[in-house]
Amino acid sequence: MTTIDDLELAREDLESLLLDMLASVLAEDAATAWDDLPQGPQSTARVAIHDGSDDRYLGVVVRLGLPLARVLASRMMSIADPSGDDVLDAVGELGNIAGGNVKSLLCQHARLSLPAAELSEGQIEGVSDGVQVRAVVLGQVIELAVSPTITSDGLLWPPDAMTDTTETL
Amino acid sequence: MKILVADDSKAMRMIVTRTLRQAGFSGHDVVEAENGKEALSMVSSESPDLILSDWNMPEMTGIEFLKALRASGSAIPFCFVTSEGSDEMRAQAEKAGALGLIAKPFTPEMFADMLSPVVPA
Repeated sequence: MTTIDDLELAREDLESLLLDMLASVLAEDAATAWDDLPQGPQSTARVAIHDGSDDRYLGVVVRLGLPLARVLASRMMSIADPSGDDVLDAVGELGNIAGGNVKSLLCQHARLSLPAAELSEGQIEGVSDGVQVRAVVLGQVIELAVSPTITSDGLLWPPDAMTDTTETL
Repeated sequence: MKILVADDSKAMRMIVTRTLRQAGFSGHDVVEAENGKEALSMVSSESPDLILSDWNMPEMTGIEFLKALRASGSAIPFCFVTSEGSDEMRAQAEKAGALGLIAKPFTPEMFADMLSPVVPA
């Protein structure tokens, strides 16, 4: 299973992934940053990667301020005023892209959960271990975190990854 | 031609549709499905000429959709557009009868390169 050391070795790849994702979905250049995320409402997307060989999980989390999340949804869907569900869909898809690429990068034989996204009126607690990379785009900071200790509670798995249809761990 | 786009994300379905245009494939009729099960049903009702499908979806995954499609005797060109682009998955896609796999995040150039043989500009 992927260790903290493995994640550190992949830091540059994760930084590139975050920049490439933003360029693709926002059509904007982004730059690696170390700034804090903005205060105020936030949105996050979470996916888990399960390594069946040792039954361990790797969590992938994308965290951003709600203003940027709304721009993301607006750009992705070509609409001026995205609803809350639109924002959740767009942020969730960003998490899905991140998770799929992290899986391809670090543990190809594992399986990937479906994304879960949420909106919060306040700050969402960031990942305290693993590797966090950040970028600034449109003047706002976004974070991609990968951690071997993030819980997979509440995540759904696609049907061919489990014995039954979509299942919650 | 009619193109069926299957993805559980509305945002991604719209990006795929927009990227098709940016890749030079304008003027085609695009229909959408939210998962493989719905997409499989729409193959009968919509008779698409090309299918672009996500892999990781609820209800029925993209690879299950493709296998069911081929088992039914359909040879509709099928391409994955998915966040997982490992060699293992590309091989699995090809073995199941996919045209190829476009990994997210993608560019219009990636669409053009993969789809030019099957989509008129």
